[in-house]
Amino acid sequence: MSEAAEVSVHPVLTAALPSGRRPHAAVRQRGERRRRMNINFSFAPMIDLTFQFLIFFVAATRFADPEGNLSTRMPRDVGPQAVALPLTPIVVRIQPAGTDAGEVILAIDKFDLHPADFEELVPAIRSILGLPGFDAETPVVIAADNAVSWDHVVSAWNAALRAGATRLAFGDS
Amino acid sequence: MLRRRRRHPSREPNYGGALTPLADVLFTLTIFYMLISRFVAAEQVPMQLPSPRNSLAEVESMPQRVVINCRLGIREDGSTEVHYAVGPNPPESLDAIAERLIGWKRESPAMDVVIRADRRLPYREVRDLMRLAASAGFETLHVTALTEEER
Repeated sequence: MSEAAEVSVHPVLTAALPSGRRPHAAVRQRGERRRRMNINFSFAPMIDLTFQFLIFFVAATRFADPEGNLSTRMPRDVGPQAVALPLTPIVVRIQPAGTDAGEVILAIDKFDLHPADFEELVPAIRSILGLPGFDAETPVVIAADNAVSWDHVVSAWNAALRAGATRLAFGDS
Repeated sequence: MLRRRRRHPSREPNYGGALTPLADVLFTLTIFYMLISRFVAAEQVPMQLPSPRNSLAEVESMPQRVVINCRLGIREDGSTEVHYAVGPNPPESLDAIAERLIGWKRESPAMDVVIRADRRLPYREVRDLMRLAASAGFETLHVTALTEEER
């Protein structure tokens, strides 16, 4: 009789009782309810999804180097010039050094400058751009030999941009 | 038999796989690949790009652009040849690319041209393409090089 009365107590009321004085039947009932509620974390779908992600990224990943663009405005192809250029262009000549395609000889026309490498080309062009009558708008013409590798031409281009030149053109050596 | 099982339940062999370490490894690999992945455009075909020291190359936002890839090909006899291609498309002749460039420039004058050339190519091969672009009416030239980032 007393046990039946204890079972009928509302769970909120039993929870309010001090822990040491809870009715035994209510505690038992709660334990059974917990056992009945089967809350399991299901690993299989999560691992399926993770595998899908992993396979996608493994297949899609390419270890590419970061790349960007060097830009310049090209002179318009309007045929021979009717009048002489108002500015004296700075002509950077690139010649292959002997048979080794990796080595080049640099020279700047009319200024008798022979930078040893592209790092020295930067201050050389910068010094010319600082002379009277020259500024950042002065055209810099990169005149490379046909056999020079494209990498050297781009290095000269990059050096001219670092020196502050804004107008670049390409020519034949 | 039944009694034994009840008395020593922990001694029963567990044939189930340990999923927790597997999930750990999978998560670690997934996070690794998610972090290092860069979603590049299909037109950026793999090649050895020029890598100037202290490169000023930067990523530009060009809504209308056409990328011409110049790759170095090696024939069976060991000699080299140049493959010109528009984006990820198959290689084409320079004449065909010139016609395409003229057509694109006529249809959308705001279009830019980007030249992605292998660093080992001789200058003359790229210069011919630059001349074609200039003749087609492209006033600004964009050349791809490696950036200074992560080098």
